[in-house]
Amino acid sequence: MEEQAAYLTQAIDSILAGAGSLLPELLLAIFFLLLVTLDLFKSKTIKRLLPWVALTGLFSVLVLLVLDRNLAEVQFLNLLRSDGIARYAGILFSLTGIFTILLSLQNPKIEKRKQGEGRGEFYALILMLVLGLNLMAKSVNLLMVFLAIEVVSIASYILTLTLKEEKRAVEAGLKYVLYGTLSAGVMLYGMSFFYGLTGSLDYTLVSFWRSLLDASPLMVTVAAILVFAGFLFKISAAPFHFWTPDVYQGAPMPIVALFSTGPKMAGIIVILRFVAAFADPNVASAFSDVQLFLGIAALATLAVGNFTALWQRTPRRLMAFSSVSHAGFLLMALLAFGSDYTVSVLFYMTVLVFMNFGMFLFLQMAEENWQVRTLEDFQGMGARIPFAGVLALLYLLSLTGLPPLAGFMGKLLVFSNVWEAYTATGQPMLLMLLVAGILLTGVALFYYIKIPYYLFLKRNHTDENLVISLSNKLLLVLFALPLLVFFFKPDLLLHWIEKLLA
Amino acid sequence: MNYTLSSLIFLPLLAALVVLLLPTRMQQGIKAVTLGGTVLQLAVAVWLYLSFDGASVANGQTGYQFVEKLNWIGFSLGNLGRFQIEYFVGVDGVSIGMVLLTGIVGMIGVISSWNIAKNVKGYFLLYLLLMTSVMGCFLALDFFLFYLFFEFMLLPMYFLIGIWGGPKREYAALKFFIYTLIGSLFILVVMIGLYTSVIDPEATAQQMGLVGENVPASLDLIRQVQQMLQQGTIAQADLVRTFSIPAMMEPANFIPGSLLHIFSGVSLFDLPIRFVAFLLVLAGFLIKVPSVPVHTWLPDAHVEAPTPISVLLAAILLKVGGYGLIRIVYPVFPDAGAYFSTFVGGLGVLSIIYGALCALAMNDLKKLIAYSSVSHMGFVLLGLASLTNEGVNGAIYMMFSHGLISAMLFLVVGVIYDRAHDRMILNFRGLAKRMPAYTAFVVIAFFASLGLPGFSGFIAELLVLLGSFSAPEATGMLPRWMAVVAVIGLLLSAAYYLWALQRMFFGKYWIFPELREKAIISDLTSREYLMLVPLAVLAFAFGIFPHLLLDKTGMSVTGFTELVLRNGQEQLNILQAILHR
Repeated sequence: MEEQAAYLTQAIDSILAGAGSLLPELLLAIFFLLLVTLDLFKSKTIKRLLPWVALTGLFSVLVLLVLDRNLAEVQFLNLLRSDGIARYAGILFSLTGIFTILLSLQNPKIEKRKQGEGRGEFYALILMLVLGLNLMAKSVNLLMVFLAIEVVSIASYILTLTLKEEKRAVEAGLKYVLYGTLSAGVMLYGMSFFYGLTGSLDYTLVSFWRSLLDASPLMVTVAAILVFAGFLFKISAAPFHFWTPDVYQGAPMPIVALFSTGPKMAGIIVILRFVAAFADPNVASAFSDVQLFLGIAALATLAVGNFTALWQRTPRRLMAFSSVSHAGFLLMALLAFGSDYTVSVLFYMTVLVFMNFGMFLFLQMAEENWQVRTLEDFQGMGARIPFAGVLALLYLLSLTGLPPLAGFMGKLLVFSNVWEAYTATGQPMLLMLLVAGILLTGVALFYYIKIPYYLFLKRNHTDENLVISLSNKLLLVLFALPLLVFFFKPDLLLHWIEKLLA
Repeated sequence: MNYTLSSLIFLPLLAALVVLLLPTRMQQGIKAVTLGGTVLQLAVAVWLYLSFDGASVANGQTGYQFVEKLNWIGFSLGNLGRFQIEYFVGVDGVSIGMVLLTGIVGMIGVISSWNIAKNVKGYFLLYLLLMTSVMGCFLALDFFLFYLFFEFMLLPMYFLIGIWGGPKREYAALKFFIYTLIGSLFILVVMIGLYTSVIDPEATAQQMGLVGENVPASLDLIRQVQQMLQQGTIAQADLVRTFSIPAMMEPANFIPGSLLHIFSGVSLFDLPIRFVAFLLVLAGFLIKVPSVPVHTWLPDAHVEAPTPISVLLAAILLKVGGYGLIRIVYPVFPDAGAYFSTFVGGLGVLSIIYGALCALAMNDLKKLIAYSSVSHMGFVLLGLASLTNEGVNGAIYMMFSHGLISAMLFLVVGVIYDRAHDRMILNFRGLAKRMPAYTAFVVIAFFASLGLPGFSGFIAELLVLLGSFSAPEATGMLPRWMAVVAVIGLLLSAAYYLWALQRMFFGKYWIFPELREKAIISDLTSREYLMLVPLAVLAFAFGIFPHLLLDKTGMSVTGFTELVLRNGQEQLNILQAILHR
């Protein structure tokens, strides 16, 4: 009894000690509850305020994370670790949440539909998703990883179905749920293997890896493959990317933009934390099978993403495969063990947020206002929307990775890390990844350029200018500016990330 | 610091900003601003050319004039040291001619664009952006900066061909874009490899605290740092990796253990990795040159591009390829340059002959000239591969002279196309009767291009041939038959030009009946004189007074060949010793 009491006080003490680090998550949870509660009122004024309440919540989390002077690393019960990575990721997630809501406010379909019913639920779920993302980035325990991923997944399933009167939305939602639950199950199964082999779920412990070294290599490989299947599903990497094009076709545009950034980044951070142990060459050499598997996955993701994108006829599907290919680039960065790749990965993800949201905003405008469904529909639009057209070109070139845009910087940093790692280890896999990554950039140009090709090179007979609302224009610029700034002065951001990580 | 070079690079950008702010309907204003921008750029270029001191000794690593060097991007890589990107521009004998050429052709291109009717604002905006990036490319001494300008050229070019081009413009624009992008991706790989391998000794000394910030390090100190680097006594965290091209030229700046270090001993496909890197950058620039067999984008791009853009493409953009070889590929990989000289020279000869044969077979006048460009660019490769002073001087002279002459040739094609909306050689006969002045300029352009003494093309070809003839003795490069075969190229170029001249311009006046309705066959307008006369005069002047350019290039070229030959031989010996061990 005495012992239990002592254990209890100890546990309570450590909970209290770590609780401060969870302030952002608590804030998100509070705002989530607030939104759900406010949604119960029938007053139109309150309904209209809901997105702004959600924005306030996300914004306060953002400010909290940016301004917090305390850089120390805090651990919460061996489950969640609040360090520089988690903090920077939290900033990115809050940004994606904010951008998603801003895009939704510009989306006539969501706005109209939500006048009466379930307006609160949409915005509340975005908050819940961001909460889940934050937890993913902080998790250092397999069980916690699973829970966090499930929080994100459940929110994602419902958000996909926002426009449930549309057939393709229902199809997308169903596919997503089926694939998602399957992969969650597989991942959980793999985790149970790990637990059985090591007696621990905390993969940051040295003992976790040591007991894996003693275990049968086949078992470890199988377990690792099962667990990674779950992770790869979340970042839409091959061969677990099949849900991506369908979901991107069915979900509302702001939610697609969110999926293409938020869960992908969080998944990458989960993998980053998991493979952190491989930075030690001794550990890495013992798990070369896992590395090989990851390397093949990265190569396959790059190849599938880029080559399949070539055949797409709708902008949504094109962007779906583009997002697959970016997952490949990020995975590739994670394999550059030994080089200091965390900063590069975080930089790449930051750029990804801005270019994806910019592009999806443009596509949303095209779809909702100008009825663009296929790539051909862009024909000759460039002359009618010069401003938006030029900015779309900017996003696309950044996605391709051409200078003078930040996408190039992101790729340069990633490639440099891979080169460094290759110099250090001489692993042929790294060289293959590097070559594939660089050559596929050429392929990427081929499909990204299709949109400007139809916009500017093809001609249309009508020439009258189309009106773009001021708010849309401002948003387009908001997403484009960082792409230029982070090309010409990437060190501004890099120094800051470095300071957070230190 | 002197801001001449920055003003050269950014004047067109400034003009572009003004154009951007002008309302779309002020077409004359837009044209005037563009012309003003390029005239100013030309004026600065001429001033630079006049005040450039050709007698100052240059050895590849130093000897750049009008240097501007500013820190641009600096970032710590944690335990791997730092990397820095500089805004580093300067001019030497290799680039001075290109700068002048860019100024001249840039202005003439604007005059030639005066008739553009569709989307004037967009056209001139892109034109000015293109001018900025080309000029930047010729002046950058930091690889990153160079790459930025190099890649950025593609974009305006893609739209200029794709929007204002001929019937198959979309296809040609895309082909151009994809080809050159693949080339620049090859360059990108090597750039990454180089900057992770090379340090800036001066900045490293500052990082180590051997010298205060912003104090220039003495030569002794730099030597000392380089020695410490090679002995491995500098802490990883103190290494400052750099994109500076002059730093990459010095073998002592390579970090021991890095892949591109001469002692790395790593090989890929049975070649030392330095050779692989050389072949990659070589391929990247050869696409731009273009050399056979990666030239196929050029005829398409030329045929579909509007006249002024063809002029820019042939006169300036192709030169970036040859310039890149001289500025980056050979000095950074002299060992591989010496090892593969026969291969490069062979590609040159192949381009000369194959380009000329293709030109001979063409019925489209513009395609004929496009292939003649391929043929002439082959001389650049041949001269460069000889690694003799004459040969390299000839290569640079060829680039300059071809810039003037090809501009003239494409303008001349533009003249007939404007009038008849057709340029098939067989559709015209006896044009001399109706257009005597035009025919005179065609004759000048053709003769200048085929290397008639008295025109700049002659000097260039002469120097290249002298260089490649003497190469076997002087430098041990190139078998002698190459020079002999290259001479056949001269004959062939005489053949296709004279034959075209005879078919189109002499004999009884006749044009293809279907063209007669639309064609208005009249002689040159004053605007066309304004473009053609200066080019003809310049081609003539540089043919009579070759020292106008050779005085400026001489010392730099001597420095270049010495550097490449000395380092090349030394490093080749090391590499071979490692390989045969």
